Amino acid sequence: MSFELQKILESKRALRRDLATRPIGEKLQLLDALRERELAIRGRAAGAAQADAGVLREEPVPSAPGPNER
Amino acid sequence: MDIKAVIALINQMQADGVVERYAIGGAVGATFYLEPVATLDVDIFVSFESAPGSLMVSPQRIYDYLTARGGAVEREYIVIAGWPVQFLPPGTPLVEEALQEADVKDVDGTAARVLTAEHLAAIALQTGRAKDKARLLQFVEAGVLDIARFRAILARHGLGAAWQKFEQQFLSDAS
Repeated sequence: MSFELQKILESKRALRRDLATRPIGEKLQLLDALRERELAIRGRAAGAAQADAGVLREEPVPSAPGPNER
Repeated sequence: MDIKAVIALINQMQADGVVERYAIGGAVGATFYLEPVATLDVDIFVSFESAPGSLMVSPQRIYDYLTARGGAVEREYIVIAGWPVQFLPPGTPLVEEALQEADVKDVDGTAARVLTAEHLAAIALQTGRAKDKARLLQFVEAGVLDIARFRAILARHGLGAAWQKFEQQFLSDAS
């Protein structure tokens, strides 16, 4: 593992090349899995938004200056 | 969810004469040449047969065929094996040519007609949305394009200026 940017970029390119050259059957299975994950993430995000909509949130009351701060 | 089942059913539909020819495009088509990228639907370009006595082209036969085999219509999609599939007529001469010249690929023993990398890249350039530009960059960076063939397609379809602009914007070392 390295924190050198050039090495990081090269390893990303290598990973993409590796994925691109995998057999097409395997790549299509990856598409199936990626879609399922995408839908799960969107479902969770939509669920969280719905939950948020039903929650009454109180704004914190601005604290009054203490007796010594006046 | 099984995209191979989608391909098998589309092949069967073609064999049964519902469509003259088809070709997979979009992100799924690009996956035949590039690394897989998350996508929510499958784009299938098809040549539709006109309904008898009608000048309008209709996808009705496709819908009827696929719903009889378990497909479910959802808005402009038909859901097959868990995947929303959109059938698209070739709306431009470029897509018409792409459909004619599509390649046959082997997917674990099943044939799949797929747009060529050069046509997918040219269509991405023509469509021109942000995600299309990103895909075009992927094609260029992956080095999977036959550049002479790609440039000939661009010349035939008047995309030379668009390509020049794209090169200046994304591929120029000077910028």
